[in-house]
Amino acid sequence: MMKLSSLICQDCSKAAVLFNSKKRILEFISELAHNKLPYLAQQDILNSLMAREKLGSTGIGRGIAIPHARMNGAQDPLALILINEKPISFDAIDNRPVDIFVALIVPDGDNSQHLKTLSTIAEKLNNKEFCKQLRSAQSDESLYQIIVEQS
Amino acid sequence: MRSEDTFLIQNKLGLHARAATVLAQLAVKFDASITLYQDEKEAAGDSVLALMLLESSKGKEVKVVCEGPDAAPALEAIGQLIAQRFNEQE
Repeated sequence: MMKLSSLICQDCSKAAVLFNSKKRILEFISELAHNKLPYLAQQDILNSLMAREKLGSTGIGRGIAIPHARMNGAQDPLALILINEKPISFDAIDNRPVDIFVALIVPDGDNSQHLKTLSTIAEKLNNKEFCKQLRSAQSDESLYQIIVEQS
Repeated sequence: MRSEDTFLIQNKLGLHARAATVLAQLAVKFDASITLYQDEKEAAGDSVLALMLLESSKGKEVKVVCEGPDAAPALEAIGQLIAQRFNEQE
């Protein structure tokens, strides 16, 4: 089993952020991802994230969303985690607002790798106690620590 | 009522996030409880997270078990969705 902590790094973990719309949080995700992967243009990342949401919301229920972009130039999968202070409307499958965002930038084409990445994330997020801990993180550091310790 | 059958995952991307979401949205429409089995893993059909844990790729065989008053139509609908490659192009 792959570890969640091998996909996420500290500067991609953001606790208690405050965004009020799908568009705004996806913009912030694309900005963070571009800082981490400067060879990918921020606008391309944003366009890809938005295009994926148009196909159907990545709000998978229980206040969790996994916005993702398959990018041609990406080398390894990168995950970013953001906890929004207040749940926001995200057209989720269960109609509940979302406050846990685990975003993914993945290389295009490697399907078995992508399924493995999704299952790594699902395994942790399926644990309600883990989600509770994520939601209670007060700082980026403590959010990242929870991920390192629990996965 | 209990109905079960085995289906082959045929779409190129396998049971990725969107396919899992479409399946879960279909599963909640039925009263029957729907469970998917693959290798030693099992997943509730109405949970996207659980379905993604199966890591079902193209070519994998998935057993679908439906239990409840509408088990037969539920099984038929789920089987059809998988056979139609989750309405994906390839």
